[in-house]
Amino acid sequence: MSPRKGNKKNGARRPGPGGNGAQPSPETAAPPPPLLGVKASELGGTLIVVEGTDGSGRSTQISLLTEWLESEGFAVQTMGLRRSNLVGKDIDGLLARNAVTRLTLGLMYATDFYDQLEHNIIPALRSGLVVLADRYIYTLIARGAVRGIGRDYLHGLYQLALIPDLTFWLNVEPAVAFEREFKKSPAISFWEAGRDMSLSHNLYHSFIRYQGMVRREFEYLARKHAFTEVNGHAGVPAVNAELRRQIARHLKIRRTSYRPSPGLMHIWR
Amino acid sequence: MDETALLEAPEMEQPVAEAARARRVPRREYPGALIVVEGIDGSGKSTQLYLLKRWLEIGGYRIHFTEWNSSPLVKSATRRGKQRKLLTPVTFSLLHAADFADRCERQILPLLHGGSLVLADRYIYTAFARDGARGCPERWLRNLYRFAPVPDVTFYFRAPREIAVNRILSGRPRLKYYEAGMDLNLAFDRAESFRLFQGLIMEQYDRMVVTDNFVQMDGTVPVNTLQKQMREIVRKRVDLKRFLPAS
Repeated sequence: MSPRKGNKKNGARRPGPGGNGAQPSPETAAPPPPLLGVKASELGGTLIVVEGTDGSGRSTQISLLTEWLESEGFAVQTMGLRRSNLVGKDIDGLLARNAVTRLTLGLMYATDFYDQLEHNIIPALRSGLVVLADRYIYTLIARGAVRGIGRDYLHGLYQLALIPDLTFWLNVEPAVAFEREFKKSPAISFWEAGRDMSLSHNLYHSFIRYQGMVRREFEYLARKHAFTEVNGHAGVPAVNAELRRQIARHLKIRRTSYRPSPGLMHIWR
Repeated sequence: MDETALLEAPEMEQPVAEAARARRVPRREYPGALIVVEGIDGSGKSTQLYLLKRWLEIGGYRIHFTEWNSSPLVKSATRRGKQRKLLTPVTFSLLHAADFADRCERQILPLLHGGSLVLADRYIYTAFARDGARGCPERWLRNLYRFAPVPDVTFYFRAPREIAVNRILSGRPRLKYYEAGMDLNLAFDRAESFRLFQGLIMEQYDRMVVTDNFVQMDGTVPVNTLQKQMREIVRKRVDLKRFLPAS
């Protein structure tokens, strides 16, 4: 932050990725979104969170819920981890290189989260949208906690986040999650197996132990934050029916019957 | 939406002042020592730390120097955020915390555990002052940096705002957007915004003199006189013998 350094470099104006190169002058630039002092009650909109470990079926359910809500006339916006404009790609790079400590990585995820919260979620809620979050702060808290970062530290870090209207936890056994992950990709990824934690060189055991640890953190979080636990072992249609029932009650939708469009039938099993 | 926007964290209920008081005594779980300089731009802190460093180097002490500067880790994100003005007070703060965490865990802590005397040009108090001036809640900030070791001595260089600001403004015509605090909408003119922003930062620093046990230094005193005072305090507060090579 030393003002006497790096002036030339930062002064060189290049369009950022995805930008058109237009620099808003400071006089016309909008003030930052006021996360500080936001009153959640004045936002309108509905924030629905779907949590669960890798292979719990989260993304599948989000796709189906989006279609169902849109068919009911609700505008939907989704969010997920590492999707911010600010640092989403940087985190991908850090994960690939594995050169960073758990705390730094945790803080980069926090930056990613708050960037999306301020630039996407809050504006969407202000416009009365339904925001479906494919993971939220609870995953980030659980991952940090199993790596030995204090729970109170993590809760303090995410203290400025909005409390969701509904939080679903798709609870699955690690062994089931393992099966499902192998259907999606031919090999287990470094992070899903928790290999940074040096639990075991046997990657099956490493995966099971790591996901088991995350699951126990979730059991604690579920009690603390009153999650709605959903049995993730049930088939996709059954889990989806349960989610629709709860969301319909919250949004006062009378009809909860739903058949996916042909485009989504491949995940309806 | 729920009425309360804050997550409950009962573990953090104790007031900040109390937490700060609890931090005052450095936890010596390492053989090294940490000396920090803080103050607004133009307060003379970097010059003084440089002179202290030279004195210790010439004396043959085992020292390392670190500064509050972006590491390659977050450089691209910081640059992108600044150029496109994506940064809010919260994300600005978090990016710098991520950067500092990297420096802390990979540089400062290993050096302290290895028994070095570490000199830091700006430390977590820079974040408390600057992000506090931007409106980040103090309790949130204090928690964010809880992982940082407490310095053995923190020098706070204080010069009247006008003197400090003029030292900067007379030398450099172009101030950067965030550096000038333009995101706070204090003034349309960058120099004026910078002036006001530095004043807000100074208010934050002044409050930390007591809570964080700062050693206040008068930045208007001649350089060599001030350096003499600084060396005297370091000699008194830090057992320098420990940092001489075992011969």
